[in-house]
Amino acid sequence: MATYRHPASLNALQRFKQARFMLRHTTRASNPAWYQEAFDLDFQLHIRVDGPAISTFFFARRKAHWSEGPTLSETDLRDPEKMAACAEKILTQASSFKASSLGVILHLADEFATAELKPALDNPAALPDLREAAFHKPATILDDSSVPPEQNCWRVVPYPAQGSGVIGTTITLTRQYAPFLAALRQAGEAHNFPLITHALSAPLVAIMGLAQCAPFAPGKSAVAILQYPWFTALVFFNDHADLLLIRTLQHHHLRHAPNLRHALATTHASLELTDPDIFILTLGLDLDPGLQGELSSAFPLSRVTLVTPPMPQGIPAWCPEPVIATTPQPKGEPARSLTFGILRDEKWALQDFLPTPKEVIEIYPSRAEMMLLRGLRLGRLGLFAVGVLVLVWIALGILDIVRSAAWTFNPSEASFVKGRLSNLTNERQKSQHWDNLLEDRSKAWTSMELLSRLFPERCGVLVKSFAHTVRADTAPGQAKIGFVKEWKITGLARDEAVDHLNVLNTQDGIAAQFNEIARVTGNPAFNPALRTRSLAVNVRTQENGSFKLQPLDETYDIDESSYPFNFDLTITQRFEATDPMAITVSKAP
Amino acid sequence: MNLYRQSIALFGIVLPALACALLVALGLTLKSRMLDSLNNKQALFKTYETNRVKALEIESAIILQRPHIAHWTALLAEESSSAVNTHLRAIAETLPSKEFQKTAFERSTSRGGFGSATAQNSSQLRIVFRGTFRTMQRAFLELESRMPQLQLQELRIDPNPNQQTPSPLLNFQVNYTAWEN
Repeated sequence: MATYRHPASLNALQRFKQARFMLRHTTRASNPAWYQEAFDLDFQLHIRVDGPAISTFFFARRKAHWSEGPTLSETDLRDPEKMAACAEKILTQASSFKASSLGVILHLADEFATAELKPALDNPAALPDLREAAFHKPATILDDSSVPPEQNCWRVVPYPAQGSGVIGTTITLTRQYAPFLAALRQAGEAHNFPLITHALSAPLVAIMGLAQCAPFAPGKSAVAILQYPWFTALVFFNDHADLLLIRTLQHHHLRHAPNLRHALATTHASLELTDPDIFILTLGLDLDPGLQGELSSAFPLSRVTLVTPPMPQGIPAWCPEPVIATTPQPKGEPARSLTFGILRDEKWALQDFLPTPKEVIEIYPSRAEMMLLRGLRLGRLGLFAVGVLVLVWIALGILDIVRSAAWTFNPSEASFVKGRLSNLTNERQKSQHWDNLLEDRSKAWTSMELLSRLFPERCGVLVKSFAHTVRADTAPGQAKIGFVKEWKITGLARDEAVDHLNVLNTQDGIAAQFNEIARVTGNPAFNPALRTRSLAVNVRTQENGSFKLQPLDETYDIDESSYPFNFDLTITQRFEATDPMAITVSKAP
Repeated sequence: MNLYRQSIALFGIVLPALACALLVALGLTLKSRMLDSLNNKQALFKTYETNRVKALEIESAIILQRPHIAHWTALLAEESSSAVNTHLRAIAETLPSKEFQKTAFERSTSRGGFGSATAQNSSQLRIVFRGTFRTMQRAFLELESRMPQLQLQELRIDPNPNQQTPSPLLNFQVNYTAWEN
């Protein structure tokens, strides 16, 4: 079994580790029984200790079924060496019932004593505070503070009846069974089996049970005599069945209290009760059976009744406390009096006299903390899943990045290619520049071919001069400039050449000649089809003043007087700046 | 009571959440930095790809022109007037000497013709010939084919002015703009 330490002695991380260890190795998170009251558990073991006898009963709460419990001896409950074995025996039997938890309710019927509250605290509104103080600071509320709190425990019981004189009293029990209950709880811890303990004062439970079994008469006060083997409790009620006073009479090894009659008589007188009904409850084996007759003769005007609570099968009539403690108030049935109402509803009669010490409770995380721990484990799992998903998403993104062609790209290659492109671009510009400048835009031999094609031999024309000029346009600020080519031809023409000159003097006629030149020379400068070029022609013919009419067979080609006409032919070809042959203005790069 | 609550809250959720958040933040930061780096590299890579494709296109376009460029560069490296004279002498050897006679040659470094309209270096050449029409045409064809940097600015053809002694020889005067490096 793991040894747990009080969290106050641990640092934050150790606390968390201890809590997580409990979450993993105990059922505290999954079994709510660890944090329930013993009475709330489905399977219970009721142990009644009245001195001579120890009675045990198992109670299956859901089935309301009672069965015989393990046989326990006084040494089992008192001897520390036997407590562990006894606890093992109890757990073994509980396991045989397939119980998931066990509530052990110890009914203490072997001792019962009262201790008076301080008279200064006689305020009914302070009862809740007094009840709390009885737990933690009993010395502050007790009139007699000489009893050591280490060996005893006190619980406040109110006196609701008007005219009782005091608001209540305290019931005092020793802590002699605390080690036994602690041993049971430790065994439960060791077996990871919720074992919840609760120690009741059996007489208080019996008083609570009077509501169901005692024949209270309306308007009649009453006294309940709870006869236990080692003491007798006298419980006084007013005519409204409200609690006035509780007294105890120790038997001092006799079968009954020797001063019972005297105590009854004096208390009747002090409480000013007139012939109250007397209810006798025999709550032990082999008790004095003649008490009813004795009291009937001693108090002839009182109705003396032997009360026997109805018990289920398997539970003896002298042992009613387990049944009373586990039987709820019937639904819809009002409480017989205020006393019986608050004894059950406010659990004044069901107070735990030997609770688990606070420092032991604090060792373990509370139910809320266990639920928080378990919830956070799921939360962490979800967080981890989300984290993993996000990381996977990031990793996939990074993988995409790494796998992209650009990721492995060496930036120095970019500058290398950039330099190479720059060199190539420069080379191309240079090439384009010289390609442009070296265009066949103006060649002497093509112009001579033009002349020979315009005027072939023996066409009746004598060319006197030929002048061809080329000049560039002046258009500052432009990247390219156009140019103008001009041909001026003068000569003499005979009659048969006039028609030819007239044909040349037309746009179609001269364009046809240029087209032919372009075709035969392969020089695109003569191509007249481009829109960026224009072609103009002008032919002027005049009569030759020196012409002499001669027979045709007597004339020479070079004889100017045989030509009746002079002509003057001007051809102008203009290339615009957008023409492919336009000249680049800039210098070579 | 509830002595464990703070520890459970601290170690049960706060620290794991912080650790998880830290881990996720680290991952996100790493990814963000890698994305930034990738964006930079992608921009570079895109530029690189564009430049590479352009370079390939240009190279494939100019690879055929390189021999011509080299030829042109060699031509342009020569001094124009001496190159013309050298070529004319070579051409003259292939032509009938009576039909092709260079009678004058002038070189001017002053800008003129196309040269005055562009920033490119050039010189002006004026050559006078006497010859027959077809022989001179062949000579010009040869010269202008050998020296494409010659751009004709002016061509004048006049017959022999002496009417008394007719001759098939004509006077040719040509002005060239010679592009130079």
